[in-house]
Amino acid sequence: MQFEGTLSWQGAVQEFGLSRPDDPALVRSREEARAEDSLLADACRSGAVDAYERLYQLQGARMKSIAMNLLGNAHDAEDVVQETFLKVHRGIHHFKGQSAFSTWVYRILLNSCYDARRRRIRHPETSEQDLVEEGETYETPTKGSNHPLRLTLEKCVAALTPHLRSVFLLYEVEGFKHSEIGNILGVSEMASKNALYQAKRKLRDMLTERGGASAVAGGRDA
Amino acid sequence: MRDMMASQRTFQCRDLEEALREESPELMAALEVHAKSCTACEQELLVWREISVAAQEMKKEWSSPTLWPRIAQGLKEEAAKPKTWRTWFAMPGGIPLVRWQLALAAALLLMISGMSGWLMLHRAARIAPDNQHLLTDQAVRDVEKAQQAYEQSIDKLAALAQPKLDSAATPLMMNYREKLELLNAAIADCRTNLAQNQANAYLRRQLLGFYQEKERTLQDVLQGE
Repeated sequence: MQFEGTLSWQGAVQEFGLSRPDDPALVRSREEARAEDSLLADACRSGAVDAYERLYQLQGARMKSIAMNLLGNAHDAEDVVQETFLKVHRGIHHFKGQSAFSTWVYRILLNSCYDARRRRIRHPETSEQDLVEEGETYETPTKGSNHPLRLTLEKCVAALTPHLRSVFLLYEVEGFKHSEIGNILGVSEMASKNALYQAKRKLRDMLTERGGASAVAGGRDA
Repeated sequence: MRDMMASQRTFQCRDLEEALREESPELMAALEVHAKSCTACEQELLVWREISVAAQEMKKEWSSPTLWPRIAQGLKEEAAKPKTWRTWFAMPGGIPLVRWQLALAAALLLMISGMSGWLMLHRAARIAPDNQHLLTDQAVRDVEKAQQAYEQSIDKLAALAQPKLDSAATPLMMNYREKLELLNAAIADCRTNLAQNQANAYLRRQLLGFYQEKERTLQDVLQGE
């Protein structure tokens, strides 16, 4: 296959992802990462399915996690991830490389999640079934042990506005940097910081109302 | 280091917000030192960190053995589809002949529509130069009147739905509430803009769209459980 012979991105993008600078797993320089990102974009632009497979290997788990947290059930989350890949395939020629390729992919993912939510609001008859599933899939295995505050926090996060929810999930749950969040959501780094602060304040208020945060803080105090 | 020590010495409760917003290492270090002697800030910092710790547990992981095969199949089907004119036009190389012809056709169309528009505007101005303003004012007044009646009916609908929204217990109802809040904010923005330019048809259409969406949402709320 011509693609395999001409592009050597496959080995080069092993560890590339969107991580905070203090992440010990990040050993490559920013320049290298950018070049690898660009190679992956070129590979996807060529239409090769194995390039998309690599993208899935690199970002799929994170994409599923974001979609799951935004949509509340695994079925919808997987559908949206699939939809995102198809949109990337259709729109790859519009990607001009002004931001990182992965950032562009996440932007499409988030928009797809909000489209899915809107569809659900417009068609409540289908969302009733989703809500039943939602209740069941809240117990989807999470990374690590269960924090006593997690379930309450998930409910509070769901009550945030879409923008605050997105910033909170991208930063606190998925570990994106504010500059990356800014690129994904089309806002400045400062706006991302402010949104995170507002989100956490609202969450603190909601948790205090429910007795969650004060109980945790009290427990620690004792 | 000197900055850090300086900020540690001067940190006060009022700096808490800035520290939590910025989360710069210097300010956070100063906050930690301050929190040792201030219970309120200590509690705040503790809750703030608990939220971050609990958030890390929100990361979802589950195996999806069928997802990649589904995506791969979808990609293959996409690739097998015949390319639309949009795709060709979007491609960096595209088809030079088609691109050239399309560009010429677009330029001609733009020229013809521009000339027609110019002629129509000037003709209309010649026919009724004095009445034009009055007609516009009258039309705006009529639209305002119809809009007020429509708003009143939506307000009645909103009043009916309010108890359900106030006692929203399901995620669906919370979604409706959030959506209505967003719509109300958008309507308020649109009205502010309209107050500056009452004859702006685009803003009026946008406002009407928001009201229609609000009406649909309120109906959904009233019909929902």
